[in-house]
Amino acid sequence: MKEISQLATPSDVRYTLDHEWARVEGDIIRIGVTDYAQDRLGDIVFVEAPRMGKKYAKGEECGALESVKAVGEVYAPVGGEIAGVNVTLEGSPGLVNSAPYTDGWIAEVKPVDPTEMDGLMTSEQYIEMLKGFKE
Amino acid sequence: MEKPQRTVLYDRHKALGARMVEFGGWEMPLEYPSGVVEEHLGVRSKAGVFDVSHMGRFRIRGAGALRFVQHVLSNNAEALDLAPTGAQYTLITSKTGGAIDDAFLYRFVEDEYLLVVNAANRKKDWEYLQFHAGSFAGVELVDLTYDMAMFALQGPKSRKIIEALAQDRPGLPEPYRNSVGFASIGGARVMISRTGYTGEPLGFELFVPGADAPRLWDLLTEKGAVPAGLAARDTLRLEASLPLYGHEFGIDRQGREIPCFAFPIAKWAVSFSPLKVDFVGRLALKKQFAAYSKIIARDYSSISDLPRMFKCVAVTGRGIARAGAGVLKDGKPVGYISSGTMVPYRPFEDKGLISRQAGEHKFRAISLAFLDSYVIEDDRVVVDIRGKPVDAVVVEYHLRSDAPPYGHPIVSGHKIPELPFTCPRRFCKRVESAPPSTLPEPAGAPAIGPGALVRKAVENTRWRRHECINLIPSEMTPSPMVRLLSITDPAFRYAEHKGAKAFYDTEIFYYQGTDFIAEVEWLLEEEFRTYLGCVEAETRVISGQMANVTLFSAMVDYINRADRRSEPHRIRSVMNNHIGKGGHLSAQPMGALRDFVARDPHTERPAVVNFPVLPENPYKIDVPAACELIDSCRPQLIIFGKSVILHPEPIAQIRKYLDEERIDSVVMYDAAHVLGLIGPYFQSPFAEGADLVTGSTHKTFFGTQRGVIASRFEEREEKYELWEAVRRRAFPGAVSNHHPGTLVGLLMAAYEMNFFKDHYQRKVIANAKTFARALKDLGLEVAGDPDIGFTETHQVVANVGYARGPEVAQRLEANNIICNYQALPSDEGFSAASGIRMGVAEMTRFGMEEKDFLVLAGLIKEIVVDGQNPLDEVKALRAPFGELRFCFAGKEHADLLESLRNLV
Repeated sequence: MKEISQLATPSDVRYTLDHEWARVEGDIIRIGVTDYAQDRLGDIVFVEAPRMGKKYAKGEECGALESVKAVGEVYAPVGGEIAGVNVTLEGSPGLVNSAPYTDGWIAEVKPVDPTEMDGLMTSEQYIEMLKGFKE
Repeated sequence: MEKPQRTVLYDRHKALGARMVEFGGWEMPLEYPSGVVEEHLGVRSKAGVFDVSHMGRFRIRGAGALRFVQHVLSNNAEALDLAPTGAQYTLITSKTGGAIDDAFLYRFVEDEYLLVVNAANRKKDWEYLQFHAGSFAGVELVDLTYDMAMFALQGPKSRKIIEALAQDRPGLPEPYRNSVGFASIGGARVMISRTGYTGEPLGFELFVPGADAPRLWDLLTEKGAVPAGLAARDTLRLEASLPLYGHEFGIDRQGREIPCFAFPIAKWAVSFSPLKVDFVGRLALKKQFAAYSKIIARDYSSISDLPRMFKCVAVTGRGIARAGAGVLKDGKPVGYISSGTMVPYRPFEDKGLISRQAGEHKFRAISLAFLDSYVIEDDRVVVDIRGKPVDAVVVEYHLRSDAPPYGHPIVSGHKIPELPFTCPRRFCKRVESAPPSTLPEPAGAPAIGPGALVRKAVENTRWRRHECINLIPSEMTPSPMVRLLSITDPAFRYAEHKGAKAFYDTEIFYYQGTDFIAEVEWLLEEEFRTYLGCVEAETRVISGQMANVTLFSAMVDYINRADRRSEPHRIRSVMNNHIGKGGHLSAQPMGALRDFVARDPHTERPAVVNFPVLPENPYKIDVPAACELIDSCRPQLIIFGKSVILHPEPIAQIRKYLDEERIDSVVMYDAAHVLGLIGPYFQSPFAEGADLVTGSTHKTFFGTQRGVIASRFEEREEKYELWEAVRRRAFPGAVSNHHPGTLVGLLMAAYEMNFFKDHYQRKVIANAKTFARALKDLGLEVAGDPDIGFTETHQVVANVGYARGPEVAQRLEANNIICNYQALPSDEGFSAASGIRMGVAEMTRFGMEEKDFLVLAGLIKEIVVDGQNPLDEVKALRAPFGELRFCFAGKEHADLLESLRNLV
């Protein structure tokens, strides 16, 4: 498993307590899971993606990532309607491991309230939280 | 909780960055940084190495050791005879027919056993075994878990790695599942077995003193073995449908003991041999076995003794069936998933035997499920995955291990793509392109039907007879007269006949119109008596294989001659050439011998022992070792002869030994391949001491495709009764109609052979030696004894590289050179064949001389070694040899032949 210093925590996304990230891209918000989450799960072999057009409240379970050994739920970082899902993950779930913040994105959300983003952690805050786990 | 223990390789795992977990009281690598997916695929396509030193290892020895293991373990430890089988899967059974643990029992040396048990059960097993050992005198039980390390090296490249490291290759285990051996690796003495828990057809387990373990680990990984952790070990065993204690053995989710026979592997792990006497759980297991036998016949009257069984379930919908998920059929619960996950696999191309893994890996969700016993294969079921119903199907297996060197994933719903042939793909060997068409297909002509059949027959005959160089050693083109005679009138007739005692052994024919056939048959017997130098010949059998079946059946008839009321005994013990060392299936328990040889009560396998062979030349029998084995096994029947035959068989030496020791074995020589070489240039089985000779008449012999049985027994001898049994088992035992047309052809062939044999036999052997030497000089690895020119028959065997035989044979075919791929003594099976087998007999008959075989050797080298395609050169080499030699031209009977042609 990676040390905290080895984990990628880009500053162009915001983070949740459950290790999802969210990035504003125009009027949609792209979501995925963090490097920490993929590293702890191990090789991801199946992605249960959110349903297109379905509305989720912030914090609601919207999908799951499954590794060989475990299932990890994905919770919506912000509330809204699913406007896009990453269909490539169906055949290549390993993208979540190899590129969690880019090609391994999970869904696009049309937010109900874009200011919900402000309640998420910055990369510095997220790193601090991870350090707390370690201790 | 106690602090987890560490294996001697703990530092290696940490240094590699492994994710460590507690498992069975040990701190073990779950996966390395490359991850479980890469490790799983690494094992399936290359080789992986697992540290399995956490498993419990107990040494059992002493005068009472065998009795003890026969009592506490379910399998028959007497079957561990060091060679060929030194290891077996076994169960530590409870009184009630459940499993206290599942285990592997190894016998590396004569007087001790090594039992390997699950880490989590080690303490429990140890106490249980200690308790029972108290009732047996002379049992020494030692826990070696901490002194001895254990690795599993698994995957298609594992053998190469072992062979590269072993300093003494002859000690390595034979290439069969569960064989054991030793090697010195990096100065350490390593016990090696051909076993494993991955489903890989090539896999080894290595046992080494703890102090030598880190160095051995380094050597294995340096040679390319991928370190693999417990996660991959679990996905691999699941894909191979192997049970895991705690999931498929032990206690089920309702808290009930799982009956051992719920997992079908039990039928290999539980022995009811009377030699095991009363082992723990025998009665309960016997009851389960009875229920199991009924259930597989879809008789559910005893289903209460085995209400649920484990089945493979493949998920066809979206999702992963994990342990604990409920399974429903027609809306009703029928059981639960016992193990399940998503596993990666690399698909194979659909190219039959030469299929290789191709392209990117994919994933599939597979599982083992504990289901009501009436659920059967192909049943559609639904798995409850976290409240969501997901479709799944019961399948027979997820992986096949029977085509070494690869384990082949069997993916539910896989469809073999069809090619534009008239027959389904699975019947078609050619995969790249259709055979070249020499006749223009008439516009609008149907692809199948009478016209198409004739057209294709013309194409095939032209190609195979006139444009190909045929090197299949078991084939021969008969002369024009033999071919013509074979379709003359007795063809399609019957001529049943049987000697009748009431008429002084006169042969009584059952149909009229048979005088000509009777005369032909009598004359043919005469020709064979002359040719072989024997007393009797039976020519009605229509193949060499049928000749052997008839003879084996006659043996059974003969040995039961005193008692015609009881169940007949089979042949008590047989000695033959192992199929891996050239033996043919017509003398093997997996082939023609199957129904005629007894089971050895000690091994519960067919009572067949194999001729030991020379370490430096596995195509030659080791005579002193064979005599020793004969002395201890007292075979009732000794079968010489094989289908990879390079040297004469030591009939005379073995006969001498039998006579001196007064051992009454029947000595049979299966001359299948070499029937046409019998004589002073090869060997004369009857003169050397064989009692009976069988053969096929169309390999080196000139005939139509038939068989022959011959005997040296005189009428006044007691053993003449065996010959009489042969006659009875030929008719009415084996044939009614015996293809009298080809019998007429064979008589002409026998005339040809008796007339031309001197010249023909010398020429065949000279050509083979020249051909073998030329191939060797061109850099091919040629089998056999170099001092005598590699071969003393018509056969030449070349090693073209591990498992490359099928592909090389196919490339030769594409260049019009027809031979067959051949598993060599070091190969695991036909799909791993390293050899090609070639015979010079047919082309010698077509007139090819030594100088022509030199050219042919050059062309073969171009194809095999240089990867070229000299198709035109091959055709040019073949072209001048259109006419068969060593046969009667028939010019003096031209008129008669012409009228015969007109008549047929």
